[in-house]
Amino acid sequence: MADLTKLIPGQIALLQGNEAIARGALEAGVAFCAAYPGNPSSEILETLAESADSAGIYAEWSVNEKVALESAAAASFTGLRAMASMKQNGVNVAQDFICNLTISGSGPGGLVLITCDDPSSISSTNEQDARFIARLADLPLLEPSTPAEALAMVKFAFELSEEIRNLVVLRSVSRLSHTRAGLVPGKLPGERPKPYWDPKTSYFTMPVVPMHQKMHQKLARAGQIMAQTGFNRYEGPELPELLIIASGSSALYASEAIALLKADQKAGVLKLGCTWPLPAEMLLEHLAKTEQVLFAEEVDPFLESEIKAFYAQNVTQLGIKRFFGKASGSLASTGENSPGKLAAAIAGILGIDWRALDKDYADKATALVTALVPPREFGFCPGCPHRASYWAIKQTLAVDGRQGLVSGDIGCYSLGVLPTGFRRVNSVHCMGSGLGISSGLGQLGRFGFNQPVVSVVGDSTFYHAALPAMVNARWNQADYVLCVLDNSATAMTGFQPHPGTGQTASGQGGCKVDVESMCQALGLSYRIVDPYDLTATQEALYDALQEGGGLRVLIFRRVCALVQGRQGGHPYRMQIDQEACRGQECGCNRFCSRVFRCPGLVFDEASGVAAVDEVTCVGCGVCAQICPAGAIVAQPKEEVAA
Amino acid sequence: MSTALKLNVEPLDLIITGVGGQGNVLASQVLGRALLKAGYNVTVGETFGLSQRGGAVMSMVRVTRDKTMGPLIPENRATAVVSLEPLEALRVLGAYGNSEVMVLTNDRPLMPVNVIAGASNYPDLSELKAALENLSARLYWLPATKVALELGNPILANVVMLGALVGCGLLPVGLAEIESALAEMFNEAKMPANRQALARGLELMA
Amino acid sequence: MAKASQVQRKPTAARLERLKTEVLDSGLCVACGACVGLCPHVLFYDGQVAAPDDCGLDQGRCYDLCPQALEPNQETRRKGLHALAGQEPNPPLGPYQAVWQAKAKSPDLAGRVQYGGVVSELMCLALDMEVVEEAVLTKAGRRGAPEGVRVRERAGVLEAAGSIYAAGASLAALNLALAEDSSHKLGLVGLPCQALAAAAMKAHQAYPAAAKRLSLVIGLFCTWNLPARGLRALLAAEGVDGPARKYDIPPPPAEVFLVETASASQEIPLAKVREKTLPGCAHCPDMTAELADISVGAMEGRPGWNTLLVRTPTGQRLVDEAVKRSLIVLEEPAQESLKHLRAAAEGKRTRAAAAWKER
Repeated sequence: MADLTKLIPGQIALLQGNEAIARGALEAGVAFCAAYPGNPSSEILETLAESADSAGIYAEWSVNEKVALESAAAASFTGLRAMASMKQNGVNVAQDFICNLTISGSGPGGLVLITCDDPSSISSTNEQDARFIARLADLPLLEPSTPAEALAMVKFAFELSEEIRNLVVLRSVSRLSHTRAGLVPGKLPGERPKPYWDPKTSYFTMPVVPMHQKMHQKLARAGQIMAQTGFNRYEGPELPELLIIASGSSALYASEAIALLKADQKAGVLKLGCTWPLPAEMLLEHLAKTEQVLFAEEVDPFLESEIKAFYAQNVTQLGIKRFFGKASGSLASTGENSPGKLAAAIAGILGIDWRALDKDYADKATALVTALVPPREFGFCPGCPHRASYWAIKQTLAVDGRQGLVSGDIGCYSLGVLPTGFRRVNSVHCMGSGLGISSGLGQLGRFGFNQPVVSVVGDSTFYHAALPAMVNARWNQADYVLCVLDNSATAMTGFQPHPGTGQTASGQGGCKVDVESMCQALGLSYRIVDPYDLTATQEALYDALQEGGGLRVLIFRRVCALVQGRQGGHPYRMQIDQEACRGQECGCNRFCSRVFRCPGLVFDEASGVAAVDEVTCVGCGVCAQICPAGAIVAQPKEEVAA
Repeated sequence: MSTALKLNVEPLDLIITGVGGQGNVLASQVLGRALLKAGYNVTVGETFGLSQRGGAVMSMVRVTRDKTMGPLIPENRATAVVSLEPLEALRVLGAYGNSEVMVLTNDRPLMPVNVIAGASNYPDLSELKAALENLSARLYWLPATKVALELGNPILANVVMLGALVGCGLLPVGLAEIESALAEMFNEAKMPANRQALARGLELMA
Repeated sequence: MAKASQVQRKPTAARLERLKTEVLDSGLCVACGACVGLCPHVLFYDGQVAAPDDCGLDQGRCYDLCPQALEPNQETRRKGLHALAGQEPNPPLGPYQAVWQAKAKSPDLAGRVQYGGVVSELMCLALDMEVVEEAVLTKAGRRGAPEGVRVRERAGVLEAAGSIYAAGASLAALNLALAEDSSHKLGLVGLPCQALAAAAMKAHQAYPAAAKRLSLVIGLFCTWNLPARGLRALLAAEGVDGPARKYDIPPPPAEVFLVETASASQEIPLAKVREKTLPGCAHCPDMTAELADISVGAMEGRPGWNTLLVRTPTGQRLVDEAVKRSLIVLEEPAQESLKHLRAAAEGKRTRAAAAWKER
């Protein structure tokens, strides 16, 4: 990430999709940007934050996406151009506001929402197509295919928003957000207006029905304006045997597939960049010229369903067509597209003999990979306090003996569902949902439910979504233990600051809002423990489990191992006493590397004893507490050096 | 632009793969910048998500003279695979290999956590090497980490591999362009080690 | 060529898995502690034994030493262990060389011991004679729940005196002591289940330290035991104020459980207490710790006195020395009392057989 104001207008640069979006916003004169971290969107606000000083803009990490969009809308009401960016799940969080904002309309300043979806769920808990928000809230939708197009579309989006006085949605995906390509940046603007909101102007949604009608008119107007752009393009024969209607990255895959199949005389690609409202004229024109249509998009059949409905409305004019896509099984309904998948689909429809690869090679490769290549599991970093926290939770729930449950949440600690977290987590859904679930379980005692409930939440998630659930638990007296894994970081998405760190996006001091103050304010009993101290943590958790009677909070406070690494590292050099190590015998059987699973501990088959991987181990000292033979020794680093 | 070097394959489809934290995203960015500056059309697709948490990371670098390519190399059509970890090279070949692919890989294994825990096996290194040879037109088995350690920091392995990539004759740019791209991204204090890493990488291909 | 990703260890025959299925998860565990302290896979805390992880080994001591494990069945096991000691099982009281009523004389035992103080005095003597250098006893620990303790002196023995009526897994302390790189001799005071496990330890091929170093086992009479948490909950429900200093079950016809705290003495209906006993105890046939060197219990009708069964030469030597040093007084037991003792022991055997049959 870099200060994007340093790019030279007119000089080609290699920019990531997210950087292109950020640069587009700067070139459009954006003043106010807000977001919540979420892969694959985080780099947008990160870049804008780094550029904020030079560009004279405000870039904020908000506590969640709803607040982010509301804040940005406010700036728009005062005449400033504003932008909110998020991943697909963020759109869910902001949805109620979106559905009301679309009726009240945005302000004199253009307002743009960037959603970065994650087909194939490369780093998400779900695979969700956020384009539907445009249809749900009747908003214009733009889908860029390349970083250069993303930059141009962002600039257009602000203009469009100001024309129709409504929010405009731009949708990216991981394969665009995290793709770098060459583009030529334009000029940065000069002065911007002073923000002002005329008190005689109001933004509310009533009377709803007439304003709803007005909203439809805005969308129609947007359609007219979008038809004038070049973002919707056709490439291919005049009368294609197969028309591929594609958006986003799928348009590029379709073009490449046609080239691979040498089918450029038979198939053409109608690449749509302005996808909502549907470009009616263009669709009528191109649907008339073909009898077969293949839809290529990610993830859901959004265009497929809408265009088929549009076709039905115009069937008399258009005649019979055959449609292919997800409904026909030509392309899968889940996962992302690829050039190979598009080629297979097109070949199938056109009857072209196509094999992506040489069968002999394919068989050979499959056999060798199956035989030799194990998966590469995800795991907590060496020294991660979450490993220690889940260890303590696992041990304590075991001796508690009542088949306790762990309700998980979103963050690095979501990995608690994997062996790295001892598979101890029983549920994970969306931000803050762990506490909601625990709240529900905590009311079931009246029905005879007697399994203790432990809810696990990170510090960033705490501020994002947990607080209302905690109020609910306190108010309705739900019985569960909340473990706040406070590692002072929004780690999984790249260490963005949050209220508990006291730092803001600009790096300057914000006001620190700490977890214990929130607990005090709610009148909750809480204790602070250090997860690195396994015994103390286990005893505190055991006490909390026996207490009963409402919500009890344990704050597991220990800074993220990666952050600690940047702040001077951990205090120990770990060593194995090979004489004492029990190795694979009854009495141990590689407890440290096999069960505790810190990658800093390995097992040397040759010597039959554990060993410390000195490159990986960070020296946190936790493993010394779990060795049954006391064979792991934590030597203070100064002593070793001496 | 190095006029002596040409783009002989189009698109030149390179995969740079490894384990999170090894710096292959950086390597692909450096390569991308060097190629862009030399006047080529470059698309660099990065796959990272939970990669920092021990998973694999892959970048696809697609090079043409003019044509804009999508971020994904078609299945089984990589021109070359550059890997910072030998197991990941084989994994990638399963999806993107073909009988003409060239493979350059670091020879130093990085154990997945499930292997360390005894739940899976890491293949015997000679078997792994043989499989890579079997599945490629040409295999370069390179001691990149060894060289990087000699130069003082294992993280330099990715730059060593870039130097080696220059030496395989596929790139339309040379060491100077790569070095120039590195210099844009690192401060001068770090450059001597990087220059050495590039040079040593190239030597490995001699 | 094995599939790389399929090289997983899935131990269905693994010992710890069997221990969990047969004993820990099926209600048979009596928290004797034989499986605790051998390895990090088995935990004990506040009266509860748990094994959250899998050890992956097909052979292991934990299952072999568990007195409640199903294979081999208890009768076979006991027979084998008696035979190793050159003894016949001799139901219902087990093998013994002599039976006495006995009482320890030292005044410092008053107010601290349960009945006659013979257990405490004999263990102190064993320490003094260096028959053992360290004794594994049971004492109230964290949260008031019993735990194993290791003592080397009289003061420590007296601190651990008195019946506790809850399971404390004290064999864990024995396992930890045996794991240390040392040769010093160890003694144990334990319940019948623990005496069985101790004998199994000494006979186990993979546990040479036990045979070498465990030199004295004093067993206690026991009809049933309570889980630590269950007892705590019961006392709380009955309004017992403060930590208990002494427990007792007076002889019939009284059907009460007596609890003494610093401030008061309270009687709880025995029926209520019986409801809370460890379900595993119903499967145990052994009332008098048949596999110990010496077994000690109450003397019916004679408060302040013990019934003493001397079972092995080791036991005999210790008792002889105690008499010689005038530490204890021995008297012939009344035949009626012995008859009742045999009947009670036989009753436990019968109930256990029925319980196993039902399973």
